[in-house]
Amino acid sequence: MKRKNNKFNKRPQNPLNKLSLFQKSDSRFSKKCPLSGKDAPVIDYKNIKLLKRYVSDTNKIMPSRITSVSQNKQRKLTSEIKKAKILGLV
Amino acid sequence: MNFYEHTIIAKQDLSTPELSNIEKKYKDIITKTDGKVIKVEKWGLISFAKKIRSYNKGFYIHYKFEAENKTLEEIKRNSVIDNSLLRHLTVKYKKLDTETEYFKETNEKKK
Repeated sequence: MKRKNNKFNKRPQNPLNKLSLFQKSDSRFSKKCPLSGKDAPVIDYKNIKLLKRYVSDTNKIMPSRITSVSQNKQRKLTSEIKKAKILGLV
Repeated sequence: MNFYEHTIIAKQDLSTPELSNIEKKYKDIITKTDGKVIKVEKWGLISFAKKIRSYNKGFYIHYKFEAENKTLEEIKRNSVIDNSLLRHLTVKYKKLDTETEYFKETNEKKK
């Protein structure tokens, strides 16, 4: 968590300032968590529309490094997706 | 006393009186063991994401109730034995929201 936060605080660099072409840009990591915040959607096993967004084509749970969901919400998401899988909804 | 949600999946090839019997049966189990039924939702026929015991669709019935530990044991025992059910799930909640119904729209379209 702490390492990620350091990346958030960095100022966005100009792409021309890079030392080499293969250096990764910091702007990739500046996405905020879509499930936390004020009017965030409720994570529930009945809310299939939301859960289907975080499941791949082969019904696997997407990693948080791709979806940029926070640690706390990712833990809730996995438990709710597993409940929905028992009922055959996802 | 705690709040719980219980969902059952009944087989696809049941007739409507049989379905209402199943719904009544679990309501009676809750009320007989000093529980309180708050809400019953019928989600209707929903197709599964994956085949369950060679069935493609099932009837979903959803209960919201307030009860103690002994009713949960009764419900679980009964739904494991029951031949007309495919699966069941109980979830414990600190607060129940009875307003939002996620499966209401899909039911109305089919009717």
